Amino acid sequence: MAATTGSSISMRSRLATSRISGVKLASLSSQGRSSLSFQLRPLPSRLQISCAAKPETVDKVCKIVKKQLALPEDSVVAGDSKFAELGADSLDTVEIVMGLEEEFGISVEEDSAQTIATVQDAADLIEKLIENNGA
Amino acid sequence: MQKQVLSLYRGFLRAARSKSPEDRHQVETIVSTEFRQNSKQVDRKNFIYIEYLLRRGKKQLEQLKSPDTVRLSSLNVSLSQTKNSEK
Repeated sequence: MAATTGSSISMRSRLATSRISGVKLASLSSQGRSSLSFQLRPLPSRLQISCAAKPETVDKVCKIVKKQLALPEDSVVAGDSKFAELGADSLDTVEIVMGLEEEFGISVEEDSAQTIATVQDAADLIEKLIENNGA
Repeated sequence: MQKQVLSLYRGFLRAARSKSPEDRHQVETIVSTEFRQNSKQVDRKNFIYIEYLLRRGKKQLEQLKSPDTVRLSSLNVSLSQTKNSEK
């Protein structure tokens, strides 16, 4: 749905696109046409995945991350928070992933575990794994 | 190499899950202390030493994985021994 509105607006004027794209598409509008193809794409890539994670999952991940890193209750942990920015070193990240595995009853592959850098990454991966489990 | 270390750490934490909650907590504390200590003390370019630590860690992990290793005392001993030898 978002894809259709996006493309119709981008055809009207460049300005409109760039305003809407304030989210993250700014670089795309400078590429002219390519922004159109991007928005019409069925979005099997990262973008869709990152939209897929439910807020509950992200919340849960945030909670676990906070607990694992012993962050104060009022500290802000959001989807785009990077573990490194929250003060986690590589060992902490391993611990977080292990904690998430247990919480969600999943098993994260070695390779995927290495690529997790943000809360959002983790939440996306978890949902993907849960989905695969259910299927 | 960092990957290998993290993978070993993950291995230890996984192995710890198979122990009783009490033992598990102890194992986790010791393992994480050991890794963190080494991460601070060992020079990252000292590949030979890190390789040695990795090999040693893998052996210790094998021991920890065996269901016979229920109590932590065994792990404790091996760790304190290695600490002595490091001095």
